[in-house]
This record gives sequence, structure tokens and C-alpha cells, in this order.
Amino acid sequence: MQGLIFLVVAATSGFAAVRLVTNKNLVHAALYLVVTLMGMAIIFLLLTAEFVAWVQVLIYVGAVIVLLLFGLMLTRAQIGKTALDRQQRWVAGPVALVLFGVTAPVLWRFFDGRTISLDRQSGNTEALGTEIFTKFVLPFEVVSVLLLAALVGAVFLAKKD
Amino acid sequence: MPLNWVLVLTTFLFCVGVYGVLARRNAVIVLMSIEIMLNAVNLNLIAFNGALEGDRLIGQVFALFVIAIAAAELGVGLAIVLLIYRNSFTVSLDEVNLLKW
Amino acid sequence: MDVNFEALLPELLLTLVACGVMTIDLFLPKEKRGLAFPLAFIGVLATLAAVLNLYGQNLTTLDGMFVVDRFAVIFKIIFCVAALLVFAVSQAYLNDDKDVPHGEYYTMMLFSLLGMLTIASSRDLIAIFVALEMISLPAFILAGIRKYDIRSNEAALKFFLFGVLSTALMLFGMSLFYGLTGATNLADISAGLAGRTDIDEVALLAILFLIVGFGFKVSAFPFQWWVPDTYEGAPIPVAAFLSVASKTAGFVGLFQVMFLGLGELADMWRPMFAVIGIVTMTFGNLVAIQQKQIVRLLAYSSIAQAGYMLVPLGVASATDGALNTQIIFSVVAYLLVYAFMETGAFAAATAFGRKTGKYLIEDYAGLFGRSPALAVAMAAFLFSLAGIPPFAGWWAKFVIFKTLIEGDGLVLAVIMALNTVIAMFFYLAVVKKMFVDKSEDTAAIAMPRSLAGAIGIAAIVITVGGFLPNLFGQLAENANFF
Repeated sequence: MQGLIFLVVAATSGFAAVRLVTNKNLVHAALYLVVTLMGMAIIFLLLTAEFVAWVQVLIYVGAVIVLLLFGLMLTRAQIGKTALDRQQRWVAGPVALVLFGVTAPVLWRFFDGRTISLDRQSGNTEALGTEIFTKFVLPFEVVSVLLLAALVGAVFLAKKD
Repeated sequence: MPLNWVLVLTTFLFCVGVYGVLARRNAVIVLMSIEIMLNAVNLNLIAFNGALEGDRLIGQVFALFVIAIAAAELGVGLAIVLLIYRNSFTVSLDEVNLLKW
Repeated sequence: MDVNFEALLPELLLTLVACGVMTIDLFLPKEKRGLAFPLAFIGVLATLAAVLNLYGQNLTTLDGMFVVDRFAVIFKIIFCVAALLVFAVSQAYLNDDKDVPHGEYYTMMLFSLLGMLTIASSRDLIAIFVALEMISLPAFILAGIRKYDIRSNEAALKFFLFGVLSTALMLFGMSLFYGLTGATNLADISAGLAGRTDIDEVALLAILFLIVGFGFKVSAFPFQWWVPDTYEGAPIPVAAFLSVASKTAGFVGLFQVMFLGLGELADMWRPMFAVIGIVTMTFGNLVAIQQKQIVRLLAYSSIAQAGYMLVPLGVASATDGALNTQIIFSVVAYLLVYAFMETGAFAAATAFGRKTGKYLIEDYAGLFGRSPALAVAMAAFLFSLAGIPPFAGWWAKFVIFKTLIEGDGLVLAVIMALNTVIAMFFYLAVVKKMFVDKSEDTAAIAMPRSLAGAIGIAAIVITVGGFLPNLFGQLAENANFF
């Protein structure tokens, strides 16, 4: 049952991702990104990572998409069709294909037979919180300072004065 | 659920992201492609977390940090794109090419 | 859950300093904006004092995620000293260029420095990743800090895109290692990889992904494309900062992951580094010959220098601890010397450029007649970069040659020797311009004391270090894990 849901969501996300990088309408691209990110959130839920799923929805679908849409708006993205790709399309395609062709079989073969256990007890958020604030408190603090630096820097760069 | 199904999806999304970064002209689309790549990494981490024995949640913690940093990077990236747009009225990567060999 | 605050003191202090500079700058009136420099400078001095306090100690805290050992302390010292030199150079630059705000500039550098201090002590993939981002994000801002200069914008964009792409690739590699071993702590990863023979394909792939991420930071081929454009478009002190401090931080991360985490797989990554090192140095040197602009010349030269520092990894061993110690020693020694000679060269270029506004090598003609001290200092830096005695750069190259030969890397040593000869072409070309050619302009190059001090100190250090290499040698010897 979960396998079936996974396949459906995976196919949708994959399709949306491909449409994102290949279509001409920039706002449509942003909307395809929403589909991909929501698909990811559903898969996280399936894999019993509930907290990460909600953070994904909150931050990615909530803030990141809005930010990107603002970016598109402020840079006067043509809502209609625009010219599609740089000349590099013919290099990028093979590169991506080769990367996939090399990586996917290797990973498939090596991790064959391993399953993801889907029966976790409740209390995922509490365990996660304990883990972050005890074992991983150093990266947590550094990320807080990093967010401050990114905030100050980005506002400084983007403001009109 | 078999782990390798998830890994194929991850790799696929990652490679789609790579294509997007290398091929697209609009800087904002390139940023979106980067987000896809980072999501693929997150899925990798969560999937491995589920497949490994033990109760540790290292993969999920790692994924949370990646989400936080991705958001910060996006903020800075969009600020730079806005800056370029304001000064040269284009966000096409083909036209941003003053500095040569 | 133990927290050893003494071990964390430098980082805590630096965070306070960075936030302090940022906040105080908010309330300063426009004329007093220059106050950011002394605040930042004194702050870093205080941090350096806190670091020196930890010299010789061996502390682990936060469950093994943050380690203060000799390796970490030596690098923290390098970072602080490099930052102090860059600050001194920046002050002259900022006083000329009204476009760049002092407060934000120093704040970003301080935040980036914080990331560098953290990475030297991080022994966990998550901590290394977060620290690397902490170094990079303020650097992106710094590259684009001249908001109204389109070249600066372009520099920032290219730097940013390359940076995030390589971060994503590196993360993929990190996630694979997590999947293989179930841990992100480097020691646990090493334990998890020990003795396993079935993982070759996946491990190889994961190492490739990882090398991409670090390769970007240390400007290795083929991830070095951002370097010339970014160094040229960004303010010169920022280029110096990136070239010295950021690159060193990349090497720190690389060493920790490769030796502490993936030491077992040395047979796999050794040939990769050998090839990458050779290609990087050759590419850097060959393209540098064609450069007409001093900053681009220094950029390609710094790419080649990164190549010199990567080849020792090409002789690493999975079992021979003594050889690995020698490798780390040689690269740390080179990084110590490199910090001074590279900052010095950029500082001299800044001094020349701010008075004359000219950055072409042609314009350096006859510099010896105009400002003998500056010309001599620049010549010292260039000789040192080229590896010509009696400057410290010669000793640093010698140490690397010695390591390569001890590790059976004769081919690598020969190619590096050839590269050194090729490099002399463009280094000596600049020196010839300064000393032999004549120029019409005869005005001396004046510079503020901070800039002159930075240039002078760097020149003296590499000269003294050339005659007494043991000074550097002893410091470098301290920096090892084994």
C-alpha cells in the first residue's frame, strides 16, 4: 500500500521536476516547483519523518516559493513565453543523463534488499528535538549565526538607498 | 518499502536539478533547480535514516540543517540576482558576461 | 552532555565581536564609520589571544563534535593572522572607495572568519558542512559588496552559482557516506568503513561527489572557473581574503574528511588527487602566462598554488601513519608561508592600484625607480611564490618535493618541478617590468601606515622564514592528527 502511494507521488514529483526545467513559462516553473516540494513532503510523511515533512511544507512550500515568486516578479519575468535555453543545453543534457546512468545503477545494486522500516513509534518530534539540542548543538548555534549573517547581508545587498 | 526505489527517485531528481543549473538561462530558474537538488539530498538522508538500524535520527537532523541552510542561500542568491537586475536590467545568464578570459 | 567553554572561547568571543561591530555600526554617525576597523581588528586580536591560550591542549567537547587539538589551533592561528593582515589592507581600500560600507564589510569578514575557526575544530560531517556554508555565505556578500559596479555583481553571481552547485554535489556525497556507515561523526565513519570490501563502487562515487564540493573551495580543476572573474570583480582585499583564508579553510575540511573519515579508502582517492593536483597546477600556470592584468595573474597563480598543495595528497597511504603525517606537515607548512606571500602580493597590488588606478602589468614598469620599497616587497612576494631562494616559498616547495619523493611520487615531483619552471616566466616578467623597464610617471606611491605595515610585515616574515625555516617548520610540525 505504501509502496503504491510512493510510486504515484514519486512519478508526479519527477514529472513536475522535469517540466520545471524544461518549460518556457517562468511562473509555471515556480508552480511545478510547488508540486515537486509537496511531493517530497508527502514522501517524508510516508517515511515517518513527520517533523521534517512539516518543516518542508512550512519553509520550502511556504517561504521559499513565495520568495522565488517575488524574485520572478521583481525581475520582470515575462509571464508569457521566453526563449528557452542557453547553448549549453546540448552539453547539460548528456551530462545529466550520464550522471544518472552511472549513479542510479550503482546505488540500486548496492542497496538492493534493504528496506525502510515504516513502523516507528510516536514522539518523533521529541526525539528529534533532544537529538538536535544535545548532540548537535554546535551546528545549531552556527546555523543561527549563519542565518543572521545571511539576513543582514541579503538585506544590505537588496535594499535601495 | 524498498530502499533502492527511493534512491532512484533521489538520483533522478538530483540529475534533473543538474540539468536545470547547467542549461537554463534565467537565474531564478537556476535557483529553483538548486532547490530540487537539495531536496533530493534531503530525501536521501531521510531514506537512509529509515533503512539503518538503531534509533538514531541523524539523517533527519542533517535534513533539517540542509533545509535551513538552503533557505539562507536562497535569500542571498535572490539578493544578488536582484542586484544584477537593478544594475543591468537583465537576469539572463547569457548577457551577464563582462569578465572574460 | 559536556560543554567545555574554554575550548569554545575563541568562537564565542568572535561571535560577540561580529555582532558587536554590526550593532555599533548601526548607531555610528556617517563620519565615524571608520570605527569599524579598530573594533574588528582588536576583536580578532582578542580572539587570537584566546586561541593561543589553547595552544598545546587537547580538548574534546560536545560529544566529539568539537575538538581542540594541535591541528585545530595551528589553523585557527593562521586564520586569525590572515584576517588581521587582510583587515589592514582593507582599511586603505575602504577609505578610498566611498561605495563600500565599513560596517557591513567587516561584519561579513568576521562572520566568515567565525566559520573558519569552527571548521578547524569540527569532526563531524554536519558540523563541517555548516561551517563551510558559514564561510561561504558572507563571502558571497563580500564579493558583491560594491553594489553599483556591474563587474562586482557579476563576480558575486558567478561565485554564488558555483558555490551552491558544489555544495549540493558535496552534500550528495556526504549523504551517501551516511548511508554507508550510519554516522556523520568522522571517527564513526572511519570505523564503519573499516574492513568492508563490498562498498567500492558506492564509495568511489561518493568520494567523487565530495571532492567536487571541496574542489570548488580550494579552486581545484575543474571547479576553478569562478576564481579569475570573482577575484577581478570583487574588491582586492576580498580577493586576498578568499585566496588565503577561504582556500585554507577548504584544505582544512578536505584533510579532516579524507584523513580522519576516509583514511581507509586512501587507495581510492589518492589517484584522484594526484590527477587533480597536476591538472590544476598546469592549467593555472599556463593560463597565467597570458594574463595582462595583475589581479587575474594573481588569481591564476593562486589556482596553480592550490595545485601544489593538492599533489601531496596524491601519495597518501591507508596504512602508513608516518607518511600521512609528513603529508599534512608539508601542506600546513606551505599554507603558513602561502598566507603571508599571497596576502603580501595582493596588498602590494592594492597599494599600487589605489594610487594609480591602474591594474595592468604594463603599468608596473619602472616601479623600482618610483617606490623602491614597494617594488622590492612585491619582488620578494613574487620570488617566494615562484619558489626562488632565499625566501620562504622556496623552503615550502622543497618540503613538498621531499614529501612527494618519500611517498614514491617521483612522477608528480617531476611534473611539479616543470610547473615551477613554467611559473617563473610570469613571476619574473612582472619583476623585470618593475626593475628593468622605465616609466614616464615618476611619482612615488604613497600609502597609509596600515597598508605599509601589512606589506612590510608579510615581506619580513617570508624573508626571515627563508633564512630560518625552522620557525615555520616547528609550527607546522605541531599540526597533525596522528
